[in-house]
Amino acid sequence: MPSEIGCYHLPIEAADGLAERSFGKLTLLLTLEERAADFRVLDCFDQSLRRSGRLLLETGGSLELFMADGRVLSQPTHHAARFVADLQEGPVKQALADVSPLRSLLPVGSGNLRRAAFALLDSGEKTHCRAHLRMMTDTGGAGAVLLTLQGLRGYDRSLAALREQIEACGGVELSCGGLYAALFPGQVAYTAKPEVIVAPDDTSLDAANTIISTYIPVARANEAGIIADLDTEFLHDFRVVLRKIRSVLSIFKGVYAKHQTTELKTKFAKLMEPTGRLRDLDVYLLERQKFYDLVPKTLHSGLDIMFKLFAEQRRAEFAKLARHLHSKSYQKDISQLAKLFHKRKKLKAGAKADRKAHDYACGLIWKRYSRVRKITARIGPETDDAEVHALRIQCKKLRYLMAFFRPIFPKTEFKSLIKPLKELQDSLGLFNDYSVQQASLQDFLHKASDWPNAVSLAVAQSVGALTAVLHHRQINERTKVIQSFARFNDPAMQETFQNLFHRREDKT
Amino acid sequence: MKIIACYSNKGGVGKTAASVNLAYASAMSGKRTLLCDLDPQGAAGFYFRVKPSKKLTEANFFDDVEKFTKAIRGSDYENLDILPANMSFRDFDIFLSRMRDTRSRLKKSLNSVQADYDVIVLDCPPNISALSENVFRAADAILVPVIPTTLCQRTFEQLVDFFKQNDLPVKKLHGFYCMVQGVKSLHIETMDAMNSAYKKRFMAAKVPFATDVERMGVHRAPVMASAPNSAADKAYQALYQEVTKRLESK
Repeated sequence: MPSEIGCYHLPIEAADGLAERSFGKLTLLLTLEERAADFRVLDCFDQSLRRSGRLLLETGGSLELFMADGRVLSQPTHHAARFVADLQEGPVKQALADVSPLRSLLPVGSGNLRRAAFALLDSGEKTHCRAHLRMMTDTGGAGAVLLTLQGLRGYDRSLAALREQIEACGGVELSCGGLYAALFPGQVAYTAKPEVIVAPDDTSLDAANTIISTYIPVARANEAGIIADLDTEFLHDFRVVLRKIRSVLSIFKGVYAKHQTTELKTKFAKLMEPTGRLRDLDVYLLERQKFYDLVPKTLHSGLDIMFKLFAEQRRAEFAKLARHLHSKSYQKDISQLAKLFHKRKKLKAGAKADRKAHDYACGLIWKRYSRVRKITARIGPETDDAEVHALRIQCKKLRYLMAFFRPIFPKTEFKSLIKPLKELQDSLGLFNDYSVQQASLQDFLHKASDWPNAVSLAVAQSVGALTAVLHHRQINERTKVIQSFARFNDPAMQETFQNLFHRREDKT
Repeated sequence: MKIIACYSNKGGVGKTAASVNLAYASAMSGKRTLLCDLDPQGAAGFYFRVKPSKKLTEANFFDDVEKFTKAIRGSDYENLDILPANMSFRDFDIFLSRMRDTRSRLKKSLNSVQADYDVIVLDCPPNISALSENVFRAADAILVPVIPTTLCQRTFEQLVDFFKQNDLPVKKLHGFYCMVQGVKSLHIETMDAMNSAYKKRFMAAKVPFATDVERMGVHRAPVMASAPNSAADKAYQALYQEVTKRLESK
């Protein structure tokens, strides 16, 4: 039985060198497989598998998952599987359970693969350990060897000797990364939350420019995925990043000249505007099952009609957005904005442009925090939904601010504030979802009144039941908002906020 | 974890060939299997090309868990490990006679690896001794290879008597005929006689006399691996399945 396993990658030429190495009293027996096969490396767009030290390889009708701990799992596959959920049941699917269900598995690259194996044998021809090699050449001509080790119980020293030689030949453990770069050179890894480098001594203008110029490429990186409709996260990330940019423009008051701020706000709003309806429909369709679970089976026929309509609307909205993203006007607008923030020459400084980033951040965060506390003090069981909605917006702005300036504050204290804030936001988010969903269901119902009687009756019954459940959940969530705020607002948290963002010397 | 012992108080009847092939069949069926060579001649280890263990002397075998587990070697086959024997195993009896709990020491040693294996196959030396008493107590099934000849018949009778005299469960004994030559009337008559004398104790699977089994020493591999689809391969496969069934219905 294999006593230890491991997975390495090494340059193609190094594999030949390995076969020529000396292993003392042991002899290396090499077996080459003549047959070559196609391969594809699969990962999510955010390369969550690579980041977690894993590699997913599709070859010859099977999926092989190389785990960070050196284990290799495999199972049969079919090309049609787009998401982890689409894979047939098996060990690979099981080990991919942590992958976001919203992210599709995309080919990072493909090429040709040949297998080989070698074993180290003693004088009695007993195997002490083995290595399985996959010699991979990508379509662009780059290559690498993926090598998995298999030790046999009781022959640890032989395995250690083999490891040593692999490392001496330039072998790198798969979990340490570097395979994508070797196989598919030139690829840039996507991250939805790139690190924004803001220093305490930067001016507020520098900080705003850095944040926006870091985020615009993130939005652009998602365009192709939205147009190809690969998964709903492309549009989601696109919207989140534009929302963050718009937050900078609205929160960082006085950083840019007034007229330019207004102009920029309009331009970024214009980029985001055509995406709203498609995102709403995406959310409905993703949560389809949850809606079905909320009402009894007898009322599912109305939901069938509703979701069929949503799916049709989504198709139309998607086509519209894809056209828009392809359009010259969109391409021109976003390119101009990217250039503006890249070159920065034409950005006009406002009255507060020269303030130090640290002081500026403290002022903004403290102000937003105070506003959050003020609104929450008024919230109770009878408070209007609009007030809770206002709190949500303020919390979101506070969170964005804290995220923008995270690098210039002490890590531990900062982290202790983010967790309860996130909890509060989650609760507020749910409250808002319940509220928005009820309103949009009512809107949908109004339209349904024009339909034939039987259809509109079925829809009305389903939507009515759904609204009642959502209303009940919204009321419950309001209580949770108050509880979450209490945790966010406890004396220790207040003190940390005070210490970080509103020290005495700041006030004077 | 199930412990299957291949035992006979007569030598040269095919214990090691059966142990090696049963362990192989068990591993191939997906069960994590350990073949434990208790015979100081070390033939089972030899068939798998595993060198005798230097450090696992008779004392360590029974009272040093670390040395016991460290002596285990992976075979060249998936799911199959070997605990090789060495010449010091011939002194097991002397050592056991000095210990307390003399009759349950083997079980204690094997328990130290119970998390690692689903099946342990014991290849036993041919005698009735303190070690064999340990085997009788530790094993869930004791497979007794019997060549259908008068001498082997007599040996089996002696074993059954020993079990009865020592209050050991005769039900644990599972005889099977090996090196069977269907053309020999003596073989046929002996099998008939033994089947009627020990109705449930004999299994249906029979291992024929085959040169493939003899050539195991040349190939240094189980006959099931070196001569797949041979008569011997099929016989050991049938034997493994019958043993498994008997163990499951226990």
